[in-house]
Amino acid sequence: MKAVLLVLSFLVCANALAQAGPLIRFGRGFAAEEQVWLMSARPDLTPNQGKHYQLKQILFQANPERFQAFLAGELDAGTAPGLAVIFAHAQGVDMKIVASVCLEAAGKQWFSTTYMVKDDGPVKRVQDLKGGTIGVVGIKTATDLWARAGLINAGLVPDKDTKVVPMAFPAIGDAVRTGKVSAGTFVEPFYSTEVAKGGLRKLFTATEAVGYDHELLDIFFGEKFLKAHPEAVRAFLADYVAVTKYYLANTAQAKADLHKAGFVRTPLDTYLKNADWKRDPNARVDVESLKKLSTFMLEKLQWLEKPVKVESMVDQSYLPR
Amino acid sequence: MTPVFQRLLPFLVVAAVLVIWEAAAVSGLWSKLLFPSLGSIAYEFGVFLITPERLHEAWVSLYRALGGFALAAVVGILVGMLMGRSKLVAGLLDPLFSGTYAVPKLALFPIFIFVFGIGSLSKVALVFLECLYPIVIMSYHGARGVNRVLLWSAQNMGASRGETLRRVVIPATAPFIFAGFRVAAPVAMIVVVITEMVSSADGLGYLVTYSLSSLRTDRMLAVVVVIALIGYLLDKAVVLARDRLIYWEKLDTYYV
Repeated sequence: MKAVLLVLSFLVCANALAQAGPLIRFGRGFAAEEQVWLMSARPDLTPNQGKHYQLKQILFQANPERFQAFLAGELDAGTAPGLAVIFAHAQGVDMKIVASVCLEAAGKQWFSTTYMVKDDGPVKRVQDLKGGTIGVVGIKTATDLWARAGLINAGLVPDKDTKVVPMAFPAIGDAVRTGKVSAGTFVEPFYSTEVAKGGLRKLFTATEAVGYDHELLDIFFGEKFLKAHPEAVRAFLADYVAVTKYYLANTAQAKADLHKAGFVRTPLDTYLKNADWKRDPNARVDVESLKKLSTFMLEKLQWLEKPVKVESMVDQSYLPR
Repeated sequence: MTPVFQRLLPFLVVAAVLVIWEAAAVSGLWSKLLFPSLGSIAYEFGVFLITPERLHEAWVSLYRALGGFALAAVVGILVGMLMGRSKLVAGLLDPLFSGTYAVPKLALFPIFIFVFGIGSLSKVALVFLECLYPIVIMSYHGARGVNRVLLWSAQNMGASRGETLRRVVIPATAPFIFAGFRVAAPVAMIVVVITEMVSSADGLGYLVTYSLSSLRTDRMLAVVVVIALIGYLLDKAVVLARDRLIYWEKLDTYYV
């Protein structure tokens, strides 16, 4: 009798685990990924979670660490800037972009990462940055790319005419005000906070520097996971798209929920007022913009040693039709 | 243990580490992007040595490290000797140095950036601060522990305070000063590289971050090898100077 009970309880447990679906170990960042965070903050919005997949989000401060964790087999998926995935793909990392998170886009309704200078300082136009320093958040990050694009557009040679130095986002405002750097990179919520303080002026935005709307953040999955659990990925992305639509339709409520769940530390009033990046409701990836970015990285910045086949690093077939 | 084996022993340990590394790299257990082979690291190291721009980055880090180290040496010896020979100075400064020795000065780097700027000065200043502690503390203990018999002998022979300092205290403290230098020299390289990784547009730390951002672990490890080599050479330079300057105090250890 005991043996029968044991077997039965084992079968019940195994069945429950199978129904819960595979665990997705997901590496997330700390900015601009609201709809991803919402999947954990509001699991009630994700009907497939717990049935067809389980989700564990792990916070990473920077992309290299996230990719190292992925290479070490500690992550199945995550968010990453398009250009970081281009770097990874160039090195033969087996990952695919499966959905878009947000874009840098022109238009007053969207936020685009902004480079600002002192209002009463000597830099009136980008050309005036010659001999100066521009603060970005990290080497070979998107903020570095946009800064270099802005300088190149103005006829300046990055590193030679203008130094590009990494520094933490919270330090950039004071660094610009005290003249430690000539210009700095500002994303939300730092942008709104610094603009409210006054004394800083926009020099250019990421979209203006590059010249077109383009992918900022994407969701990637490891190819092994995609092959092993295609249905789980489809279920995950179905929930993700549903949450994205919910977020776009109920942004204030979603932001309040994220704040309450501890995903955002900015004071709620400030967070609610922040302008937001453009997000595609269907999470479709702007592949053309990634192609242009990779060409720019190869030809203008010499960040890539050989061309990257962008089409082969994007697979949108897992998104809901 | 034969003399030949004794000489080969350090190289055998290094060789064993390299063999283990290569075995791990070719085992296929880890991605080559995480665990590159020795061949690819050696290739990147070779490229480093023949690329003037990269050699320049090494020079940038080296002069920052040496600049901070040299300042710390001058100030550290002076302060340490004063503390060792003056009860008043020791009473004033000992609590400060003892109480803040364990503080990771790197945590102060953001403040250093605001005070000294993003360029070399903030990095040199932090190297100075990190190197100052071991040099001061070793010099202090060396100067305080001078054999009293030697001091009395000098006084009995009519030596002035200056002569006593020059001919007794400084030579007796010198081994301790060099011990402080040996601790401080690698610290200088470590601090420079970390500060360059945090905020810099040049130097070896910048190259490490740059290589990591492109997932070029082999290139990053080649830079690490360069850092290790510079650290090794700095230590050898200190030992060489020590053996030349305080030839009477050869390190002689008897192993049981």
